[in-house]
Amino acid sequence: MRYRRKSNQFTNKTQASAKEPPSPAKPESSSSDILNCNLKANLQQIKKMLGNSTDIIIREVPVSGSKEPSIAVIYTDGLADPKEINNSIMRPISSISEGYKDGSSCSSPLDGQHLLDDITSGLKDFSEVQDYTSLLHDLLSGDTILIFEGLNKGISVSTPGWKDRGVTETSAENVVRGPREAFSESIRTNTALVRRKIKDPDLRLETQQIGRRTQTNVSIMFIQGIANEKIVQEVRDRLAVIDVDGILESGYIEEIIQDKTLTPFPTIYNTERPDVVAAELLEGKVVILVDGTPFVLVVPALFVSFLHAAEDYYQRADISSFLRMLRYLSIFISLLAPSLYVAISTFHQEMLPTQLLFGLASQREQIPFPAFVEALLMELTFEILREAGVRLPKNIGSAISIVGTLVIGQAAVEAGIISAAMVIVVATTAISSFVLPSFNMSIAFRMLRFPLMLLAGSFGLFGIFIGVTTLILHLCSLRSFGIPYMAPFAPLIPDGQKDAIIRLPHWLLLTRPRIINKKNMTRRKSTPPEKSRE
Amino acid sequence: MKRISALILLNLAVSLLLSGCWSRRELNDLAIAVAAGVDKVGDRYRLSVQVAIPGQVASKKAGSSQAPATLYTAEGDTLFEAARRMTQISPRKIYFPHLRVFLIGESMARQGIAEILDFLLRDHEFRTDFFLVVTRGVTAEETLKIMTPLETIPANKLFNSLQTAAKAWSPSKAVTLDELINDLIKEGKHPVLTGLEISGDRNIGQTKENILNIYTPSQLQYSGLAVFKLDKLIGWLDEKDSRGYRFLIGEVKSSVGFERCKNQGKVVLEILKTNTKTKGKIVDSRPEMDIKVYVEANVASVECRGLDLTKPETITELETRMEEKVTGLLESVIAKVQKEYKVDIFGFGEVLRRSHPRVWAKMKEDWNEYYFPNLKTHIQVDYTIRRNGTTGNSFLNELKE
Repeated sequence: MRYRRKSNQFTNKTQASAKEPPSPAKPESSSSDILNCNLKANLQQIKKMLGNSTDIIIREVPVSGSKEPSIAVIYTDGLADPKEINNSIMRPISSISEGYKDGSSCSSPLDGQHLLDDITSGLKDFSEVQDYTSLLHDLLSGDTILIFEGLNKGISVSTPGWKDRGVTETSAENVVRGPREAFSESIRTNTALVRRKIKDPDLRLETQQIGRRTQTNVSIMFIQGIANEKIVQEVRDRLAVIDVDGILESGYIEEIIQDKTLTPFPTIYNTERPDVVAAELLEGKVVILVDGTPFVLVVPALFVSFLHAAEDYYQRADISSFLRMLRYLSIFISLLAPSLYVAISTFHQEMLPTQLLFGLASQREQIPFPAFVEALLMELTFEILREAGVRLPKNIGSAISIVGTLVIGQAAVEAGIISAAMVIVVATTAISSFVLPSFNMSIAFRMLRFPLMLLAGSFGLFGIFIGVTTLILHLCSLRSFGIPYMAPFAPLIPDGQKDAIIRLPHWLLLTRPRIINKKNMTRRKSTPPEKSRE
Repeated sequence: MKRISALILLNLAVSLLLSGCWSRRELNDLAIAVAAGVDKVGDRYRLSVQVAIPGQVASKKAGSSQAPATLYTAEGDTLFEAARRMTQISPRKIYFPHLRVFLIGESMARQGIAEILDFLLRDHEFRTDFFLVVTRGVTAEETLKIMTPLETIPANKLFNSLQTAAKAWSPSKAVTLDELINDLIKEGKHPVLTGLEISGDRNIGQTKENILNIYTPSQLQYSGLAVFKLDKLIGWLDEKDSRGYRFLIGEVKSSVGFERCKNQGKVVLEILKTNTKTKGKIVDSRPEMDIKVYVEANVASVECRGLDLTKPETITELETRMEEKVTGLLESVIAKVQKEYKVDIFGFGEVLRRSHPRVWAKMKEDWNEYYFPNLKTHIQVDYTIRRNGTTGNSFLNELKE
């Protein structure tokens, strides 16, 4: 009784003192949101807000011999580490309560603030919470919450204990040479992976929670001074207006913040490789990390970045230039091969060498469908096979390839439904489309193949020409966070050509891409390595 | 507003599809013509088209019973009419872009070919890269019936053998449509075309028997050049004259020549490169031609004894004698054409037109009748022997009886 009265007095005092600094954002809700001094009332309020969820553990611990509990320890089972809680919270509390028990004869005053200080002195990572919103957020993020009788604030102790997949090898973007590590689902691991690569004090990390219910941590990362301040601000602004109930993957953010929605082409780059992210940061780009996914967004994205692999910068310049040219060639093959085949074999037979024409004509003798239908059938079958291969569990995935080769490669040709030449065309297209390092870019081209085939089937080469022209116009009209998508081709930036279709040696890449940020462009001194060694 | 624009777009898209596939022809709707021939029957044209059967040509199975190609023949008052009449007998419309050779029957060629050339040039289906050939002593139709070994499609054999013969053996001349028309419209030049003969037994040649054995009884063979006055055939040049003709217009790429040794036997020379420069000049108000021929050759074989190729004098002597021989060849062909045909197939008039346009303007009316037959030519041959082949002196020198 005495305690309670005393503590009441105490809380009155602190409430009065708490009112002196300007109160947080919503003054009308603060009365119900702010913790009060009554432990029982606080616990009741928390239980009410969480609806007695069974994975929320509340342990009430009496201190100093009193039967009434004076400290409550709250945590989410599974998210918080029970061992850590026992070692760094429960044990100190019990020892303190022993001490208070001993000193009870000395009638030392048991006030909450004192207790709080005593406990926190042994803790490494904690913060104070004063309102229910942040308390619940911390609690549901895996922290352990301590609230005290007679104190209108609690502390949240970081006790992460959920299972993390850890840093594993890359699965989507493989390289022959280069780091093997990939991002994981935990945002903290991911930021650490980037920090390990760039130990620059100017590397900035800004975090916010997005998603009304998921409260997902979303971080912006950029290098102050290299990144374009306007783009950084634009990213902040676009993230600020997001209002959805959940963000489960960075794809949610990508779709909401991209410049133009009506386009098959991705205007935001995503990667699971920390080394790619580091390279992009050094080029002045802004990185968006989302908790719960290994895929990190990079803005602004240029068309060329989707054709560049991380490895391009690790292999010798001549090797990577060759590989890049190969990739550019592959886009054209994967986009145009079936439509060119359809156009030439149904409209422009005069373009074929005579011997080839005989070969193709003899294969087509028994085929009941027009070339266009044939191509459509085969391309669709291929897409279905590919999708099936992705979704199937790994150990039955090989069945798909057997069915694919038997059904498409042989049976269809032997049955006279499909010509052998068409199988070759489709196979070439398929292989070329896999050359692109970026999955969403290669699927964009694979989708565009179908309208182009339709145009080729109705107008021949003229149709393909119209289609490709439209496509190029569309590509040139795209912007990614205000940056022209087709840079450095349109607008043509002579300096940008050093690292577009070819890659010059690192000692010639003196500047960062001009299109991203015009300030602070110098990457290195302009002496060739032989000279600098002399 | 959005709905209206969407509707307009949709309508546009649909109209695209409605007009779609216009002029579409699947590969298996084509009758691919590889060779065509025209003969004249009275006033009418008789068009024969050799159509390849792709299944037979590209078939993996050997020894199929069907012939690799089939021949469709139709008559008409015009060539185009005959071509369309052919649909009555052909299951598919004839597709001409892959035509390799176009044969002109000798009788037709004598009456003039200009009228049919316009059709070939104007129709969009004809590419201008096929060769035009005159059949010699036989109709075009019959020539197209001969079966050929090695190249299953006779048209392909005709195309390839003309191409290689023109390159590696000089008497044949591969003429495409645009070249022929260019020659026709040049004032100071008249065209020539290569002649084609059937050698051996024609009746066997038309059956499969022709290609059953290693020995082919009947062959299609190029022989000589057909001399045209404008678009009318007026006579033939034999093999020797044809070589001379091609030397004179500088078209010989590679050929073979020989020279007799002092004692019995011959030295054979492989011509590697030739270059001919013709210049016109006016001497005493009469045109004259300076013709400089440069020939580069290798020793290809020595078929006589006692020839010491290691000595420069031998080579020089050989060169001098070859120069005389080539000069003789060229002079004889010029003389023959001047005397017999009186038609400037060498393009001397064209040379003069370029160098002396005003003089040419006065002479062109009487060029073929008067000036060309009396034209003086100065031929200067520079024959160079470069290499001896893979050996020095012939081992024949060492042979002792």
